[in-house]
Amino acid sequence: MYLRHLLSTAKRRPFGRLLVLAAVAILGLEPSAYAALQVRVDQGVTEPIPIAIPDFIASPEGRDIASVVRADLERSGLFRSVNPASFIEKVADINVPPRFGDWRTIQAQGLVTGQTTMQPDGRLRVDFRLWDIFGESQMIGLQYTTTPENWRRIAHLVSDSIYERITGEKGYFDTRIVFISESGPALNRRKRLAVMDQDGANPVFLTQGDYLVLTPRFNPTAQMIAYMSYIQERPRVYLFDLETGRQEVLGNFPNMTFSPRFSPDGKSVVMALETNGNSDIYLMDLATRTSKRLTNDPAIDTAPSFSPDGQQITFESNRGGSQQIYVMNADGTAVRRISFGQGRSGTPVWSPRGDLIAFTRIGSDFHVGVMRPDGSGERLLTSGWQDEGPTWAPNGRVLMFTRTLESRGASGGGSQIWSVDITGRNERRVLSPGDASDPAWSPLIQ
Amino acid sequence: MLKRSFIVSGTLHAVIIAAASFAWPHAFELSEEPSDIIPVELMTVADVTNVRPTVIEQPPEPPAPEALPPPEPPAPPPPSPEEVEIAPPEPEQKPEPPPEPPKQVVEAAKPPPKPPVPRQRPKPEPPQPQFSVDSVLALLDSRTPKPPAPPQAQVAETATKGLGAQNASTLDLRDALLSQIRDCWNVPVGAPTPEKLIVQVRVFLARDGSLAQPPLLEPQTRAAAASNPYMRTAAEAALRAVNVCEPYKLLPVDRYDSWREIVMTFDPSRMVGP
Repeated sequence: MYLRHLLSTAKRRPFGRLLVLAAVAILGLEPSAYAALQVRVDQGVTEPIPIAIPDFIASPEGRDIASVVRADLERSGLFRSVNPASFIEKVADINVPPRFGDWRTIQAQGLVTGQTTMQPDGRLRVDFRLWDIFGESQMIGLQYTTTPENWRRIAHLVSDSIYERITGEKGYFDTRIVFISESGPALNRRKRLAVMDQDGANPVFLTQGDYLVLTPRFNPTAQMIAYMSYIQERPRVYLFDLETGRQEVLGNFPNMTFSPRFSPDGKSVVMALETNGNSDIYLMDLATRTSKRLTNDPAIDTAPSFSPDGQQITFESNRGGSQQIYVMNADGTAVRRISFGQGRSGTPVWSPRGDLIAFTRIGSDFHVGVMRPDGSGERLLTSGWQDEGPTWAPNGRVLMFTRTLESRGASGGGSQIWSVDITGRNERRVLSPGDASDPAWSPLIQ
Repeated sequence: MLKRSFIVSGTLHAVIIAAASFAWPHAFELSEEPSDIIPVELMTVADVTNVRPTVIEQPPEPPAPEALPPPEPPAPPPPSPEEVEIAPPEPEQKPEPPPEPPKQVVEAAKPPPKPPVPRQRPKPEPPQPQFSVDSVLALLDSRTPKPPAPPQAQVAETATKGLGAQNASTLDLRDALLSQIRDCWNVPVGAPTPEKLIVQVRVFLARDGSLAQPPLLEPQTRAAAASNPYMRTAAEAALRAVNVCEPYKLLPVDRYDSWREIVMTFDPSRMVGP
């Protein structure tokens, strides 16, 4: 009615039309008849992304590289390799966009095309492209050149690139695992220090098994390993240089040193030192070989691990009456307990991403779990007769751990390396030569 | 007379006392009768079924269906080798990544995968050569009267006000969409703080449920995805979900105007652990 009155007024007084126009514009605002429908999607699935990876064009190496990339991505649990037998388009030239419709038909969401070329100088050139099938666009295109025998590492680099582009996180395929290889009868186990690629390829033994070896750990450049060995019946921490094959005892302590781990900058090693039945945590500077005591408690303090920023250290201690996980500043101050779940907790390892601490939970069964550095958000990821000793992939997304199987009479038993995603999904065995335990994941190889 | 009154009064008192003495004990017996227990379960269902009647004002003029030709975006140029090849050959050297090709995944408009059904838009008002108060008055008179609100009913302010606002006209549409999209959305659960990776995608549907044009990230999501790789991953996962789920069935064609444009908010917080 008010509007009608306004318009009548305007009819009588033409000079007021401008004002009326403005009023009509304001009052006449209607809600849009086509306002977008709002939908909140809070349920989904966690299924692998289907990705098609045809053999790279034109060489046996191309077939092998595609095969390793397929295996890498599948093992991550985040991808599913579409069966090559279902491919409609045969990729003949990676410089031409694929027929996206053909790949949509077979449900692929990503496509990797690649080719290998032997250079005049005898080196192998590998080009590949990752395509978004629904977006109909190229997501990445890269080229690598290397010696032909190094093709496997190129395949891992291709996998890392694809993984990073699609998940937003660094990959972890161009990495290695140092572990303890076990062989022989139960009463006379031969334990050797060994390294292999993260997919179990290229295993190499670093020691001959004359001495017991335990708890190997990589330094940040993956060129040096700290571990504990019982050489001459004296359990002490040693350093092994992968370039030179040289090993040396770390520090000249009269008593047992064990459970070493490098600081994030690689310049020092934090470890446990035992004195008269009590162990405390020490920090040793690798350049000056001077050590500093960080804990001073009559309880057993061991298994230290730095936060990725080097500001804090998590460790295990029984100072509260049972084996539990603690966090302190890197100078040993401000010690606080963070594990309060049922049972005992040990072997804490800080994620390279900084957001979680992985640990072993010891109760009626053994579990590998994760919690936030303040102790909240505890989640047990695995359960087994003896699951223990987690180690992080360099992207902080996957864990490896030792799974010891229960011995049933003469058969069974033995230990294996397994991996699990931090969501608790995708539990898989990592292939290794013989029994294997105590894995430590390398950083990305530089 | 007085004596008679005494007799009547005494008789009545005696009757009342007798009746009371009989009924009083039975009153307790009656109250002790067992009653059936009716179990009542209290449920919070407002989030799901908070249906309120919606009063939708009729537009001043019913939109005349008009077929608009689909937009003709330029075809994505095939990336030339020069754009992506880099990394000068260096033995056993980790190659440098090439210059990023245009991020067409999330931003570029591309031809729809199928011939889109012509979108319908409200017919634009023909330009008025001169302002005429009479015509405006005539227009007002021709308006359909506003339907009265149901008595004593709480009326939703608009048909689509913000997230979670439910009303009778769209609840079933949401259910239909959710039942389909939840199977297509691969949730990025492995990121450091997945509960914060909330992505909004604007979806344009044709009448047959196919995508009328590629889905678009809402501006806030697009900005976050440009600076945060986890957000970019989450955004791409949401776009993939919208694409993979096409065509959208179960949507009533006679209410096409209600679902021709949809803003989907992908919220992974319920899908991740503590």
